[in-house]
Amino acid sequence: MSDVVLTKAEGFTEKEINETVSRALDVLGYDFGEKIDSVVIKPNLCYYWDFSTGETTDPRVVSAVIDWVRQRIREDVCIFVAEADASAMRTKHAFKILGYEKLSHIKDVRLLNLSEGEIIDRNVEVAGEDFVLPVNKMLLDADLIINVPKLKYHRLVGLTCALKNMFGAIAKPRKYSYHNRLAKVIVGINKIVKSNIVLVDGVIALGKTPKKLGVIMTSDDALAADYVASRAIGHNPSRIAYLKLGMKEKIGDVSNLNLVENPTKLEDIRKEFPKQNYLLHSLSWKLQLKLLKLYSKMSEDVIPPILNDVG
Amino acid sequence: MIGLGRMGKLHFLNASHMNDVKVVAVADKNKRNRKIAEKHHVQAYDDYEKLVDSEELDAVIISLPNFLKRESIFYATEKGLDIFVDKPLARNLAEAQEIVRKVNAGNVRLMVGVNYRYFDSVQKVKKMLDEGRVGDVVIATSELIMDGPFSHPLVPKPVPEWWFDKEKAGGGALLDLGYHLIDIFNWMFGDLELEFSTLGYRFGLPIEDSATVVLKSTRNGVNGIVNSGWFSKMIFPNFNFRINLNGTVGYVSTDHFAPRNLYLHAIKEATLNLFRRAVGKRVHYLSYTYYYASFFKVLDQFFEAIREDTSIPVSLESQLEVMKAIETVYRQNRGFASE
Repeated sequence: MSDVVLTKAEGFTEKEINETVSRALDVLGYDFGEKIDSVVIKPNLCYYWDFSTGETTDPRVVSAVIDWVRQRIREDVCIFVAEADASAMRTKHAFKILGYEKLSHIKDVRLLNLSEGEIIDRNVEVAGEDFVLPVNKMLLDADLIINVPKLKYHRLVGLTCALKNMFGAIAKPRKYSYHNRLAKVIVGINKIVKSNIVLVDGVIALGKTPKKLGVIMTSDDALAADYVASRAIGHNPSRIAYLKLGMKEKIGDVSNLNLVENPTKLEDIRKEFPKQNYLLHSLSWKLQLKLLKLYSKMSEDVIPPILNDVG
Repeated sequence: MIGLGRMGKLHFLNASHMNDVKVVAVADKNKRNRKIAEKHHVQAYDDYEKLVDSEELDAVIISLPNFLKRESIFYATEKGLDIFVDKPLARNLAEAQEIVRKVNAGNVRLMVGVNYRYFDSVQKVKKMLDEGRVGDVVIATSELIMDGPFSHPLVPKPVPEWWFDKEKAGGGALLDLGYHLIDIFNWMFGDLELEFSTLGYRFGLPIEDSATVVLKSTRNGVNGIVNSGWFSKMIFPNFNFRINLNGTVGYVSTDHFAPRNLYLHAIKEATLNLFRRAVGKRVHYLSYTYYYASFFKVLDQFFEAIREDTSIPVSLESQLEVMKAIETVYRQNRGFASE
């Protein structure tokens, strides 16, 4: 059985966020089992757009997770906040720009670039296809992985939440090269690296626009968290390719899902979320580019390099 | 063409579509960037000195990072070539003065690509100002706020490292975007004096990500407020730019002349261009984008000056005044940087 806990902050101050995060994690009641020495917290720092845009994880949420870990495990547990370089983002700059360098000083935690250090190639099989994904050894060796994704709409895949956040943990910076088989790679990395706890940052959620929702969701199952998240943003989970594949590959359990709505209801979040029509948006982007290229061919006008990598 | 980064590629495409202009060769260290030359059957070099030494040229377009401008301008000047360079002219006033001395001594033309002057909306506001349509202007305000080097292209690529290095970049949002606004204020009113300035460091970088500057034109007493920033996520085609002139007879704003809906504007301009092409008229390159059209126009002005053997429309004295104002802002705010 998978547990998913939905909570909502009463306000947006650091104290209110801290209390909500702590409550959401306590209600989840994760069983730590054996002794835990190292904890990796993986926020979503996909680009240099800070938390106010709804694109990246709010450092105040991660700060609250750090407090909770120290209170519930022990004060001297080794905590890493980790992110890997991306096609357009360099982690060293993201840590600084998005407020994580400051957080690491205040909370005395280590920042870990998952694209640096010892990288191990791990084989994985998804839907009959074998492939290799490079993963940082520190992530593989962690005693506890806390996945702290954003609750947001994504132009390519419809939803980006817990499973997609782990895609960001693949050591290879140029992850853009995986985009032609995105669903398989998302499922593959989640087979290799299992998130023990998921805490979804929906304090500022992102759909058509960012919106302050104050939502915090926790789960012990990344697939279940994404299943609920997709419903929260108004999308059918079975229409999101990587969720469908994840269910087929049984990387989590959504058949026996225990949803704790305390105090907020999923339906209330769905109503409040600034919904973006995934199919229409995706089609509209593709259509715009196709029309632009056709126009350029017919008129011999120029397409700006930002829209068309002419090289 | 020296440098084929994002702006370099745009200049390359623009120059390739201009009457009486032939792009002879390109130079870029990056092999992937040089592919554009192969695609257009243009000779490519990995070193601009080799290009300048090997080819017969009238002019060069320099689109290099700020820290490489001085040496490349010097090299082209020594070879007697006219030069178009992206703004800013230099990283600081001393470097700008050095460049201007060199090109003056070398008797070559140097034009800084201050493309914002060439927005249709800015040209119209300038015309109204010159015709006295708003009376005497007392207060001018301007804004250019976007994500600057942090804009996210469709094909993702990392932001070049030099942007994060104060020494190599010379400055942040003020030098990058505020430069245009100060240039326009100076172009419209002249004789700049700095009244007040403050810089913002939301990103915690050694270079500013926002700047507010209050200027005065000592020629006619106009006060100008310039707001520039890199802090705002902006998805193309949207962008946040305006000039407002408040005069003794009402006001005029670039917003009055900018397309209300950029998508409808694109459809309209694209249709007109298809029509122009069908009847054998010249296509108005990039007019469908509104933003990028100005880059074509500013480059066209440069080649026009070469063709007609006239002086360039953007004087180097005006660019030194812009650099001087920016330098004064940085001096005023020294010690307030994030690092």
